[in-house]
Amino acid sequence: MAKFVTIGERIHCISPVIRKAMDERDPAPILKRAKEQIDAGATYLDVNIGPAESDGEERMKWAVQLLQDNFDNVPLALDTSNKKAIAAGVEVYNRTKGKPIVNSADAGDRISYINVAADCDAIVIALCSKAGVPAGVDERMGYLMEMLELGMGLGMEPDDMWFDPLVVVAKGMQDQLGDVLEALRQFSEQGFKSTGGLSNVSNGMPKTLRPIMDSAFIAMCMQAGMTSAIINPCDQRMMETIKSCDIVKNNVLYADSYLDL
Amino acid sequence: MAFTNKPQVFNAKINPITFGANGHEVTLGGSNVYPLYSFDAPIPNAPKVGIQISDKGFDATLPELAKFYEGCNTVVEMAKRAASAEGVDFVCLRLESADPNGDNASVEDCAALAKAVAEAIDKPLAVIGSKNVEKDSTLLGKVAEALNGYNPLLLSCKEENYKAIAASAIMAFGAKVAGESAVDINLAKQLNVLVKQMGVAAGNTVMNVGTAAAGYGFEYVASTMDRVKGAAMTQNDVDLQLPIVTPLGDEAWSVKETLLEESENPAWGAREERGIQMEICTASACLASGSDAVILKHPASVKTISAFVAALM
Amino acid sequence: MALKGLDIFKLSPKTNCKECGCPTCMAFCMKVAQGALPLEKCPHFSAEAIATLSEATAPAMKTLELGEYKLGGETVLYRHDKTFVSHTLYGVYLCDCMDDVDARIEKINKVDYDRIGERMHVETVTVAHNPDKAAEDFLALVEKVKGLGHPVIVEVCCADLAAKALEILKGVPTILNAANAENYEAMNKVATEAGALLGVTGADLNELSETIAKIEALGNKKLVLDVGTASMKDAFANAVQIRRSALLETFRTFGYPTIVNAAKLAMGDSHMQMALLALFTARYGSIVTVEEMDYAKALPVYGLRQNLFTDPQKPMKVEPGIYPLNGADENAVCVTTVDFALTYFTVSGELERSGVPMNLLISDAGGYSVLTAWAAGKLSAGSIAKFIAEFDIENKIKNRTLIIPGKVAILKGELESKLPGWTIVIAPNEAVELVKFFKDNKF
Repeated sequence: MAKFVTIGERIHCISPVIRKAMDERDPAPILKRAKEQIDAGATYLDVNIGPAESDGEERMKWAVQLLQDNFDNVPLALDTSNKKAIAAGVEVYNRTKGKPIVNSADAGDRISYINVAADCDAIVIALCSKAGVPAGVDERMGYLMEMLELGMGLGMEPDDMWFDPLVVVAKGMQDQLGDVLEALRQFSEQGFKSTGGLSNVSNGMPKTLRPIMDSAFIAMCMQAGMTSAIINPCDQRMMETIKSCDIVKNNVLYADSYLDL
Repeated sequence: MAFTNKPQVFNAKINPITFGANGHEVTLGGSNVYPLYSFDAPIPNAPKVGIQISDKGFDATLPELAKFYEGCNTVVEMAKRAASAEGVDFVCLRLESADPNGDNASVEDCAALAKAVAEAIDKPLAVIGSKNVEKDSTLLGKVAEALNGYNPLLLSCKEENYKAIAASAIMAFGAKVAGESAVDINLAKQLNVLVKQMGVAAGNTVMNVGTAAAGYGFEYVASTMDRVKGAAMTQNDVDLQLPIVTPLGDEAWSVKETLLEESENPAWGAREERGIQMEICTASACLASGSDAVILKHPASVKTISAFVAALM
Repeated sequence: MALKGLDIFKLSPKTNCKECGCPTCMAFCMKVAQGALPLEKCPHFSAEAIATLSEATAPAMKTLELGEYKLGGETVLYRHDKTFVSHTLYGVYLCDCMDDVDARIEKINKVDYDRIGERMHVETVTVAHNPDKAAEDFLALVEKVKGLGHPVIVEVCCADLAAKALEILKGVPTILNAANAENYEAMNKVATEAGALLGVTGADLNELSETIAKIEALGNKKLVLDVGTASMKDAFANAVQIRRSALLETFRTFGYPTIVNAAKLAMGDSHMQMALLALFTARYGSIVTVEEMDYAKALPVYGLRQNLFTDPQKPMKVEPGIYPLNGADENAVCVTTVDFALTYFTVSGELERSGVPMNLLISDAGGYSVLTAWAAGKLSAGSIAKFIAEFDIENKIKNRTLIIPGKVAILKGELESKLPGWTIVIAPNEAVELVKFFKDNKF
């Protein structure tokens, strides 16, 4: 089995610092957050430039080149609702460290992001939802198949479609967390890759509790067969949990220093 | 259904490392396919074959070997003769006399000898220390100092003495060093990590993951190497993407099958032939599982293994 | 082997006709893979697709019998992934073109010995016919080879002569290694009628796979694939590609054992044949043939084979008992260690090097190494005392000094109380220190 893939979520325009830096094309704050995440062990970095309706293409190109030039072509997930911006980002993207990821498609309004990914030979995160939270495992599997058929019809490899079961929040939707794990298990059983916004599980919980809940949940997701997650790599407890699970699952060869690697 | 070949070519490769100097260099590693799978993709540096000599001389009871080293009165003369053997890529000097439980030769004398050998031969030089962890922690540093400019390969640092050896031999004098782990894959990886954490850049170290003569627990050797190469390639584990160097002459020549005199069991035939075949058998199996260099003692085995590698490239 | 939804989908009609009750073919295939629906719910799967799917759960590589030996049946490419099951068979190559063929036959049964409970000897004999030689001389050679008592591999170019050779070999397990793209029909007929396995060869792997498919269509699935003798590189590439396409891609056309003729690959070069024996033992040769199997080749390669084909879950064990070393008699000192084969070999090798006569006592320690056996309670003062009683050591050996492994020095006190009259001595921790230990101490 391959090592668990972490996608660092900290370059997101929802953060005022990042939004300001993007608007002003100020590299420093973005590079700082990128470095923190890479040092902490993130495989991919997510780059969320926001809706960026007016200058999305130029903005995404700037961000992709900024990050790849400074960090040895670090692989990126391009995250925006502006499809042209994604295509523009891919144009300047260097693939030596991994294909770009399109974040994200779903089975509803955003299904055409699969076409975007197919057109530019990218990986796509495919959210198993149409509108709102899917009811149960079967509905998630149904959306998976819809998106898979579309992707394969466009010539995509199934391995380039990473299915997101839609992680629900513990505080409020606790009864549906079992469905998320079961969906991951079925994805894995059928040989599909998966990912998801992991920290959603602890949304609204006290800050001190979130790393604990996130770590426990990621361990259970990995056991269920999850192959990747969108996370905060600066959460040390989370990264230690992922590295330990990679050892348990025989994804990585053990050495006493495994947490440092 | 027609056959379609699916080459196993990886997005990962073994770090190339070069030792030797002055126009006499060899490079190990650099491949992005499984060991010897040259049909999947070209292997940039074929596995290399070293010939081992000891500072305590050669086994004169072996007629062919005695003939090969005939007229050699010093270690330097032996080294020159060894370097001229057919198929040799590098010479490996074992400082057997440094053993504190044996002759306990001084580190200064050993270093001076290593230098004299390096000066005399037209091949890259590898040096095996005393195999005593305490002695080697000073010995290998001194040898590196004496061989400054020859870019030698030194075997080996272990978990107990890697700090001293990495600091002196690699960081002060630029030698290449092998990290030795006795058929323990987790320790093999850990040792690489520890040396890296000292600030040693990639490309300075190789692995000696240990070996055994064929028939003597070789399954552990094969599985260790198979797993090292598997993790290096399929998991892109950078801490295992180091070339593997396997000195196996001592193991091959010290088991019952190669020690027993012909007079004690005439059916087995001449001891020398048994030793050569044991070296060849063990070397071939090591190369199949992942050795990027093997070190042998007998010129006849060196010749065959060298031709064997060439035929498979 | 469980099938994934996508594997089934690839063979599905992909029409989304909904007759099965599912909205799409993909949905249906997922349900079939999960066991929620039977494949028969879809009326449109082709017969060929159904056959492919039902075959998909069969083993990827066939197991064939050759007399008392098994060939093939491997499920993994690396022993650490599970285990190898059918060890490589070694053979000797004879040709009627060899001037000294009788002398070669003489030597075939010279190597015959036991290593850790396994008999080591030549397991197959190949007889090849050179078309320039007389057919009757070849048949006379086959007759001689028959008498050696090993399975025989026959290599001839014409089917008539093959039939005559196989007639002589009636009752002997045989491989007719002679089929190729031109003659496969005739050779298949001869092999099938004689109950022999059929060896198949091809100019390249494409031709080979086509020929195999044609022979399979004639109903024969008892095949052995010859990796060829064009060059060492080609033979190795073929052996690897055949095995990995069979196991990784489940390419069933190549799901058969292989034959490697190292004799022809390196004719006249005994050292190179040794290198090839080892290579193809490690990498996917089911039968490897050399010109001569002498002790110099047998001792290393049979040991290598025994190592590589042990089940990683089951350590190799030696039989408990008294092993006298260096000409020991009843007065020689006693030394004990565990029955784990690797420990036994390492320790006994060093003890032999010391030259000191001694009785090595091996008790049943579950096949574990010293410390593991101790931790598991398989090597204790009690187990050693019990062994000494059961094997009647006190009547068989007069010496009353017992040397125990340094790693279980802790057992000394308890052993002294359990074995009155014995002196318990602690050996060094490591086997390599034994020679010095016996030089420094006299018993």
